[in-house]
Amino acid sequence: MQDKNYYTIDPQGKLKCMKCQVPLVKGKAKFMYLDNGFPVELPVCPVCGFVYVPEELALGKVLSVEKALEDK
Amino acid sequence: MIIEERASTHVYHQRRMLTQEELAQKESLCVHEQPAYCSASCPLKLDTKEMIHAIAHEDWTKALNLYGKIAPFPHLLSRGCEAPCEANCKLCSLDGGDGISIHKLEQAVAEFGLESKGRKLPRMKKKKSIAIFGSGLFCLFLAGELHKKAYPVTIYCKEENIADFLSKETAFATDEDIRQTQIQLEKTDIQFKFAAPVMDRISFDAIDNYRTSFDILCMEYQLAASLCGTLDYDEHLVFSRTYNLVTANTSGVLEAAYAAKRAALTVDRLAQNLDPANTRGEEGPCETSLFTDMTDVTPAPSYLASGAITRELAVKEASRCIQCHCDACIKGCAYLSHYKKFPRILTREIYNNVSIIMGDHMMNKPINACSLCGQCTFTCPNGYDMGEICHIARENMVSTGKMPLAPHEFALMDMFFSNNDAFLVGKQPGFEQCRYVFFPGCQAAAIAPDTVFEAYKDLCSRLEGGVALILGCCGAISDWAGRYTLYQDTMDFLDQELANLGNPVVIAGCPTCMKELTHHTQLTLTGIWDILSEIGLPSSAKGLSVPAAIHDSCGARGNSHIQQTVRKLVSETGCELVDTPYSGDLSPCCGYGGLTAYANKEVAKEMTEKCLERSDKPYITYCMACRDRFVREGRQSKHLLELIYGTDAGAPPDISQKRYNRLNLKNRLLTEIWGKEIPEMQCEFKVTYTEEAAKMMDERMILQSDVIQVLNHLRKTKEAVLDSETGLSITRMRIGNVTFWVKYTETKDGYLVHSAYSHRMNIITRQ
Ligand SMILES: [Zn+2]
Repeated sequence: MQDKNYYTIDPQGKLKCMKCQVPLVKGKAKFMYLDNGFPVELPVCPVCGFVYVPEELALGKVLSVEKALEDK
Repeated sequence: MIIEERASTHVYHQRRMLTQEELAQKESLCVHEQPAYCSASCPLKLDTKEMIHAIAHEDWTKALNLYGKIAPFPHLLSRGCEAPCEANCKLCSLDGGDGISIHKLEQAVAEFGLESKGRKLPRMKKKKSIAIFGSGLFCLFLAGELHKKAYPVTIYCKEENIADFLSKETAFATDEDIRQTQIQLEKTDIQFKFAAPVMDRISFDAIDNYRTSFDILCMEYQLAASLCGTLDYDEHLVFSRTYNLVTANTSGVLEAAYAAKRAALTVDRLAQNLDPANTRGEEGPCETSLFTDMTDVTPAPSYLASGAITRELAVKEASRCIQCHCDACIKGCAYLSHYKKFPRILTREIYNNVSIIMGDHMMNKPINACSLCGQCTFTCPNGYDMGEICHIARENMVSTGKMPLAPHEFALMDMFFSNNDAFLVGKQPGFEQCRYVFFPGCQAAAIAPDTVFEAYKDLCSRLEGGVALILGCCGAISDWAGRYTLYQDTMDFLDQELANLGNPVVIAGCPTCMKELTHHTQLTLTGIWDILSEIGLPSSAKGLSVPAAIHDSCGARGNSHIQQTVRKLVSETGCELVDTPYSGDLSPCCGYGGLTAYANKEVAKEMTEKCLERSDKPYITYCMACRDRFVREGRQSKHLLELIYGTDAGAPPDISQKRYNRLNLKNRLLTEIWGKEIPEMQCEFKVTYTEEAAKMMDERMILQSDVIQVLNHLRKTKEAVLDSETGLSITRMRIGNVTFWVKYTETKDGYLVHSAYSHRMNIITRQ
């Protein structure tokens, strides 16, 4: 069954893990905050699992969801 | 030090913030929704204020709708009403002016009010039918009231036609009033039995016969009284239980109208087979505890004192109405203005917010946006304390695990910083036991470290008996955050430090610290303002060369001694002071109080702007946070101690500089006063920031120390990604409840930071 993803970013080969020296790929991750979890697809290092959260995402969608959850 | 994020809000965990009685008692203090004086004195409960408002806006239809609600026959009532409202008009209290001519405005409404154009919905007639025996105003008004309630009504009277019927008890009315009333009556389906034979031979037996055709019988009082010597009846219910008859002994037009209203309600109850005495709701004139500020109101004469009533004059007269209402609190408070809510409503919504378990907690933001400054306790005529409500709500939310950490975490961590890394306690060199301890407060150390240094040196040199020093936070931050346990811990910590010093007299540098420290009951407290007032100003003291306005500290609210002493000191520096509105006890908060600056930057900014509206002159403050926020908004502003010690704290420091300032002050004091050697902090790498990065970090509440931790983590783990589009590397680290991200490029000896951002959400990988 296909998971509903709240957000998807494809790194399209523009991002590289500096530790593992491999390109990041689109991978499954989950945001957790105050009792709630959101499945997302973000750039992930296929070797070490580093999950990258871009600035626009952190200041946009993530921040607004945080604010909404703080009012729950 | 980490504060734990709140636990699951899905767990049932609840504590009432107030009992129902406490809530009702608090709410009753807010008089905003109390009726205006005119309406309160009207037995018919006319919404006089709203009606006058409608006239002022030339909305005659609305005005008549409002008047028609209480007057079935507007022409008659408006002509004959004794109008007790007029004497109660607040404008009557002004010498040399008239109250609003409400009575004549009502006549204008009857004359110019256009009947509502909208088609009235056909109403189902009620099943129960009513007979009224007799004539006169009570019978007429009662028929009108019952008709409005959709009862089929039949009037039995001696009179032979409607004109005769209307002539009884209406000598006060004009021919036009009678004509209009007749037109109105003819539009109704009220049945008239003129020259009714029953009226000639009226007796209980004769009347009783009608009980087969009618459900409820009503009667003119004189008629009813003539049937029996003394009529046993309830004057309020206008009902005789003995004779099962609705009747009322009235004199005057208003009394007849009011009795008809009560009678109609009695009929209503009887028709439903209910006791007419029960659940009638509030009737008649009422008390009002409304407060109306008359300071800016000038007395003026009525436009309708004599001569004909014209539309134009009526509108002018209605426009004179000041629409009595109480907004004393909201006028002075940016917080209440922001949410556009009066304390009673806000309290109720906060109470409900705290009581619900699941779902949206829409009031979390307002609860955390109040500066708890206490201004409303002085602006409200009843001393409403909105801050107390918000504070209780915060404590409640913390204790039940419903308070998110985000609004206050930065401030709380800042308090830990003040009382750990930046904490300093020391006795004046050469004194085993000090008579005093100077407690300048965390904000003074963060914003004006040089001023604190000079003040301490001065106190040491001029006071007898030795002056110790404590650099730290008084605990206000945890108190404001509603974190009672943390606050207790801070109190205990300070108690211990003060006890170690032998509990000397505390010289507070900040009125808020002083207020907080009064909770340590064993202490003797004074303010630096009192000490300086006593020993005189040092030679460095120099006031501004231009007139300035004092901005009183929330911490000094209700303490005229501090307010006056500060003014005296400022005057002694040779600074000319101007009077401003909202000074002293009425002073608004700068936006720092109650942690508003952390929890709600938008409201905090509005608070600062509100403060700056008071005057266009430079501000002299005696709270360092006020000084900081005013300068940040571009207003020349000085702390009292800057004037006294000839120091200049300069441009407002950003959040990182505020921390460095505290550390540097501590180190400077340790080296220069206590002769300690401070080993220079060794950092393996150098971090520089682009101008843009430094600015955004201040806005995003990201400290340079956070960035350094992230970069240290990077050096250990090598975890980072390279963005080939921008050429920037990006690394991250979770510190406590926050993940910090840093965009950087490497330099020959360290890093250049291009951006930093953070989020509170935790991120995990999944399969
Ligand atoms: Zn990797």
